[in-house]
Amino acid sequence: MADSLRPPRHRIERRAVLWWVLRALLTYGLLVVGLGVAAVVWDAGRVWLLPLLVLAGAVLVAHAVIAPPWRFAVHRWETTDEAVYALTGWYVREWRVAPLSRVQTVDAVRGPLEQLLGLATLRVTTASSSGAITIVGLDHHLAAETADRLTEVTERIPGDAT
Amino acid sequence: MSPEQVVVVDDDTPLDVDVPWQRLSARMIVVDVVRTLVSLAPSLVAFVLLDVSVGPGTAGALIALAVLGAGGALWDAVRWVTTRYRLTDDHLERSTGLVVRRYRRIRRERIRSVDVDARPRHRVAGLRVVLVGAGQQSAASESALSLDAVRRADAEVLRNRLLDEEGSRRDDGEVLQTFRLWWIVFNVVGVWSLLLAAGVLWGGGVFLSAFGLDPFGWAAELVGWSGLGWVQRSVLVVGAMFGVGIVGMAVTYVTQYWGFELARVPGPGTTQLRTRHGLLRTREVNRDERRLRGAMIAEPVAWRWMGLTDTEVVTTGLSIWSPNQPAAILPRAPRSVAVRVASTVLRADPGPLSTPLAGHPRRALRRRLVWATGLSAALTVVLAYAVLVAGLPWWVALAGPVLWPLALVAAVIAYRALGHGIVGDHAVVRSGLVSRRTVALQRSAVSTVVVRESVLQRRLGLRSVTLATAAGWGGYAAPDLDREEAVEFARQAAPGLLDTAIVEP
Repeated sequence: MADSLRPPRHRIERRAVLWWVLRALLTYGLLVVGLGVAAVVWDAGRVWLLPLLVLAGAVLVAHAVIAPPWRFAVHRWETTDEAVYALTGWYVREWRVAPLSRVQTVDAVRGPLEQLLGLATLRVTTASSSGAITIVGLDHHLAAETADRLTEVTERIPGDAT
Repeated sequence: MSPEQVVVVDDDTPLDVDVPWQRLSARMIVVDVVRTLVSLAPSLVAFVLLDVSVGPGTAGALIALAVLGAGGALWDAVRWVTTRYRLTDDHLERSTGLVVRRYRRIRRERIRSVDVDARPRHRVAGLRVVLVGAGQQSAASESALSLDAVRRADAEVLRNRLLDEEGSRRDDGEVLQTFRLWWIVFNVVGVWSLLLAAGVLWGGGVFLSAFGLDPFGWAAELVGWSGLGWVQRSVLVVGAMFGVGIVGMAVTYVTQYWGFELARVPGPGTTQLRTRHGLLRTREVNRDERRLRGAMIAEPVAWRWMGLTDTEVVTTGLSIWSPNQPAAILPRAPRSVAVRVASTVLRADPGPLSTPLAGHPRRALRRRLVWATGLSAALTVVLAYAVLVAGLPWWVALAGPVLWPLALVAAVIAYRALGHGIVGDHAVVRSGLVSRRTVALQRSAVSTVVVRESVLQRRLGLRSVTLATAAGWGGYAAPDLDREEAVEFARQAAPGLLDTAIVEP
C-alpha cells in the first residue's frame, strides 16, 4: 500500500546499534545480574524473584538483541530550510515534524557512551513540552554542524516560536 | 516594556504630593488576640471545667497555638505602626515595613479591580481587606496591592472613589455567563465529596479524641452498630460519607461561585477573559485573549447522562497545575452551556465543540478489545502464580476473568468517545474513557506534528496523531485514525507543517 508519508532522507550511523546494545547491557543487564544474585542468595524470596528475573531477562533480550537492529532499520532523519523531520522507534514508530519557525533550541549533546563511539544526539525543542524532536546516532561532527546550521536559520526567523 | 505598560511601581521615596496619609485599622490587633483566645477556649473549657485529662502532645499544641497567636498580634501591631496608605489624584500609594521600608504606587487609571475581602473574623470586627488588582495577567491571588485591614466604612469609601471614576471600565465588558444556583446539582457529585467527607469526619473525630472524648463510640451506640450486619454497616458508612460530602460540596460551591461572572473585558492592548466569583472571598482571574489557543470540555463518564461538563481554555502562560485552576472558565455546568460559552470564547461560528465529529474506524475498537483481553489475561496469570506459590485463596485468581467483561465494556466506551474533525480555524479531537475530553485547538498554534504507529496499529491499518502545542497540556491526541486519514488529518490540522514529509500522489 502506498504511503503518502514518505520516510526522511538520511539514515543514522551503524555504530548506533552498538550504542543501543551497550546501553541496554548497562541498564537492564545490571538489573538482571542484580536480580540473579538476589535469587541465589535469598532463599525465601526466590519464588518472587524468579518470575521477575524471567521478566527482566525478556526485557533485556528485547532491548539488547531485538531492538538495536530493528531501530537501525527504522530510524531516519532529515532537516531542510523549513523543517526538522525524524522517524524513530522500533515496535512503535513515530514520525515527528516541526517547522523551523517553531523551533526554540537546537543542541548536539553527547553522553559518555556516545563520546566513546564518536556519536552525538541532536535535540530540537519547540515551545511545546511534548513537541521535542530527538535524533540519536549521528556522527558527532555532522550533529554539531547541523545544530549550528539550524540555530542560524531559526535565529533569522522572527517571532517567539509559540 | 513601554512606560504606559508599567502598572505597579516599587520605589524608594513616595511622590511629593500634599495629601495626608492614612493608617490601617488598629482593631486588627485586637482581632488577633481575640482569635487566639477563641481558638484556645474550647480546650481551656474542656481542661478546666470538664476536668478532661490532657496529654503532653495536646498541651504542646495548645502552647504552640498561644505563642503563634501572640506572635501574630505583635506582627500586626508592628504592621499597624509602620503602614500608611493614601489616595491622591493620580495614584494609590502604600508604604510599609519596619526595617526595610517598602513603597508601592499604582496609577489609578490602571486599577482594574477593587475587591473587598473579609474572613468571618474580619466581619465580626467590622473590618475589610482591600485587594487592588491592576489587571495583570495572573490569578487574582496576587493582588497588585492589598490593605489588610481597614474599617468597613473606609473600605467602602476607597472602593467607591477608585471605581466611580473607573466604573465604566469595570462594567463595559460583554458578560458571557452568570451564576446559576441550580448548577449546584453538578457541583456536589464526584469523588471529591467522599474525600471531603472523610477528611471532615476523621479530622473532627481526632480533634475530639485529643480530649479523651470518643465521638466514634457515641455514633456507634446511637445507630446500634454492634447489632448490624456488615452489609448494613457498609451502607451506613458510605451513606453518611455521601451525606456529609454532598452538604460540604454544596456549601463549597455556593461560597466559591456566588456571584460568578464570565466576561470579556478590555485590557491593556487586548481583551481579556475575566472570571470573578466568591461569596466571602472574591476570586478574579484575567486571561489575555491573545494567548488563547483553544478550548476544552471534559465530560466524566459517570455523569455524562446528566450532561455534567467542565470547561477550560487552552492558553499559554497559565499554570495548569495551580490550585486556582485558572484555565477553568466555568464551574461544572450543563453541556449545552459549556458548548455555547466555548464557542463564544473562541469567536468561532459554527462552534468547533458543537459540530459533529467523524468517528474512527471499527478497527480502533478491535485494538481496544485486544488490549482489554490482553491485560485481563496478564492479570489472571500473575494472580494464578500468586495463588500457586503464596497460598492465597483460589478465588483471588478469578479477578482476571471477572474483570474481563468490564474491560471489554470500557473498550467500547473508549472507542465510542473517539472523534476528530477540522472546523474552520480549529482542529478538534475527542477521546477519553473516564473523562471524555473534546479539545478544539487553533490550527495555527500547532508546533509539532507527531504520527504514531505500533505493530498492532500497523496490522490494523491505524495511526495516531498528536498535535503538540505550547498551550495547555502541551499536546492533544487523536488516537487510531485510519492510516491514510491520519496523514490527511495531520496535514489539515497544521497547515503547511507536514509539507516536508508528504509525497504528492
